[in-house]
Amino acid sequence: METFNNFLQGSITLFSDPINVLIFLGGVIGGMLFGAIPGVSMLTLAAILLPFTAHLTAEQGIMLFSVIYCTGVYGGAITAILFNIPGAPENAPTAFDGYPMTQNGQAGKAVGAAVICSAIGGVVSTIIMMIATAPIADWAISAFGPPEIFALVFFGLAVAASVGAKTFWKGWLSILIGLMVAVVGLDPVGGIARYDFEMPYLLAGIHFIPTILGFFAVSEIFVQAEKKVRGRYEAPELSVDFPSLAELVAHKVAVVRSIVIGFFCGILPGIGATLAAFMGYNEAVRWSKKPEEFGKGKLEGVISSETANNAATGAAMIPLLALGLPGGALTAMMVGVFQMHDMQPGPLVFLTSADLVWVVFAAMFYANASILLIGFLETKTIINLLRIPFQFLAPMILLLATVGAYAVRGLTIDVVVMFLAGVVGFFLRRSGYSVAGIVLGVILGKIGEQTFAQAMQMLHFEWSGFLDRRIALGLLIAGFLTLGGSIYGAFFKKKPSAADTSTS
Amino acid sequence: MNFKRLFAGGVVAAATFTLSAGSALAAGHSCATDDLPSSMAKPGGFPARALSMIVPYGPAGGSGQVAQAMAQAVSDLTGVSINRDHKPGGSGTVGMTAYMAAPADGYSVLEHIDDASSAHALDSSRPNPATGLIPLVISQITFSQIYIRTNETRFNDWESFVEWVNAQNGRATIANVSKEGSMERVMMKFITDATGMQIQQISFDKGAPRYGALAGGQVDALFEQPGDVRNFLDAGKFKPILTMLKERPSAFADVPSLADAALNFDPLFRFRGFYVHKDAPADRVEWLQWAFQKAYCEESYQKYNESKYMTLIESFRDTAGARELITKTIQQYRDVYKAMGLEVK
Repeated sequence: METFNNFLQGSITLFSDPINVLIFLGGVIGGMLFGAIPGVSMLTLAAILLPFTAHLTAEQGIMLFSVIYCTGVYGGAITAILFNIPGAPENAPTAFDGYPMTQNGQAGKAVGAAVICSAIGGVVSTIIMMIATAPIADWAISAFGPPEIFALVFFGLAVAASVGAKTFWKGWLSILIGLMVAVVGLDPVGGIARYDFEMPYLLAGIHFIPTILGFFAVSEIFVQAEKKVRGRYEAPELSVDFPSLAELVAHKVAVVRSIVIGFFCGILPGIGATLAAFMGYNEAVRWSKKPEEFGKGKLEGVISSETANNAATGAAMIPLLALGLPGGALTAMMVGVFQMHDMQPGPLVFLTSADLVWVVFAAMFYANASILLIGFLETKTIINLLRIPFQFLAPMILLLATVGAYAVRGLTIDVVVMFLAGVVGFFLRRSGYSVAGIVLGVILGKIGEQTFAQAMQMLHFEWSGFLDRRIALGLLIAGFLTLGGSIYGAFFKKKPSAADTSTS
Repeated sequence: MNFKRLFAGGVVAAATFTLSAGSALAAGHSCATDDLPSSMAKPGGFPARALSMIVPYGPAGGSGQVAQAMAQAVSDLTGVSINRDHKPGGSGTVGMTAYMAAPADGYSVLEHIDDASSAHALDSSRPNPATGLIPLVISQITFSQIYIRTNETRFNDWESFVEWVNAQNGRATIANVSKEGSMERVMMKFITDATGMQIQQISFDKGAPRYGALAGGQVDALFEQPGDVRNFLDAGKFKPILTMLKERPSAFADVPSLADAALNFDPLFRFRGFYVHKDAPADRVEWLQWAFQKAYCEESYQKYNESKYMTLIESFRDTAGARELITKTIQQYRDVYKAMGLEVK
């Protein structure tokens, strides 16, 4: 009851001041817009706004950033679904099935599912955040160290090979290509240079945003252009139909599972929404009776990814507020906002600034809820972009992707990497490899390598150390069982007919 | 106005690390650059447009924050905007490379930390921040400490910590940034050599997982600078057991210093500063020196430094002082790299 009263008080504070309402609306719309444009993410908007928060009250500044966080994570889903351009890495798994749905004439259904599930994931995680911030934060950092996070990544990778490739082996080769790309640059623990060819820019590694843009957007343009040249191009049919209630109810297990996964990934410091989206998607594949349908336009893929990444937003606020540990770059910037107002996030915030905390909680709740309304309007309008003929749309997408790749660090090499990835992706897709698998390998590989090295240091370079850590051991066993099952299936089960993987 | 003479006179240079009496702002004391003129004519109209500041790290970390605070202070002082351009990656190498390729017209400045000095110490083909660039100001200098959890029961101070670590036969752990040649690794070598401790260093390149590792009991101790863990200190979650200074700063009067712990080595410091191309026009450099050094004493910047515990030791170095600090630091790193058997190019 006290929680509810606090929430009401936070809501009243939020909506009783017109300036607060303006800031809230600005954050909602700004987050969605910047989230939707590749390369220019919600982080860009946050970095621009950071100095100006000095002129706001602490409540307004933190509220603005938390609202941008909620809607920014959702915003990138739209371009991922319509054009195969994930606005941010956490939307990449959304494109795995969202874009094929667009090609199948189900863009409205995919965007609608993203809207509804983002809102559900965000709202539920915000409610959990309101109820149990402190105990959850303490448990998460005690139970999950580098060995457990590495085991979690291994568990995720074990199923990733089944996403989008024509055969089990091509799936694993795709993952390994991604893992190879992930090790370019300084190693994350010892700082040793690998595969840099004495080029300073390669010391920083291959950035995953140009990689994603290349493998998804650019290679897709090439695929469609080839179809156009050969006279096989068909413009996607337009539909603005939302998914039916029955369809959503049918996916209730996927929604609940993704909320749990997303929330769980969100509370781990330094992990956040990207791993949440990939793990949410992977688990949907793992538990599906028809995993071979993923990557070809399955609604459950969009639902799982978008529910999980928004569920991570509320969760990421838990270590920030309870312990002062930011889960990602945007929450780290929130620390800067706190400091500008002579405050520090952490246990004392609940004692010294309870009003601020509840205004933020209320704002996040309403921001997630507002995704439903604004997303609904967006669905009915933005989908009409698909009416633009391919010969005009393709250059626009290439331009957008190029700007996005360059904007990440202002480096031309990122644009080169993007186009290289596009060309490589084009040929790999023709050969039945999975660009989704490559991207999974790149993103999970970076997290996995770092946590593996840390785990080995922590376990004094003894593999048996994993046996003493129950959660890590459980996840590793589950990963090996999944892997064994996949290998068994590849050798002994009747092979499914080769399906078109052009969109994977 | 004879700005050059002011600098030549060493008004603001500080060659040694001295404990500060606290925030100049809070205590009402004079600030390092109070004697500089409050305004300076723009040489030949420079700058006629916004400056660009390359930051070789992300916007959320310590470098991103100090860049934002300094850019704001310079803008407040001069009315000239500064656009920050973050180029993270390669432990600052990407940003440094991009900066060296930028035009030397004074419109582009660089933020960098002591990593640039240690990188040059290890590989002299990397730019020397003292001679390959012109330091405009070093605006943050801080020391390191060893932290444990406040509710720790196995040890509660430096002495009992060393005893406990020695009893673990190398199985004790400490979280830090233990990349090859890093300040943390070098300092840990000084400490382990002096105490005979065997302790496993766990390298976390991001702050939050590093602090979470100690808070969650994944590691036994943490190597960090006080400003970065201030919220944990204020909340009573962490406590320092060793200050890596030769004397105790007032804010940590009950924490043993290196001298108290009989550790006889010169500590290395984390420092952040701002630079300009050495080939930039001299009159523009002079204006930039004035702007960045004067901005150091802007109220907003001092407030920021105070919030980050950057006022416990003298954080300010002008161009001459910065060169002296960087040169000394490079030599320290070179000596220890050779002792560690690293290949110094």
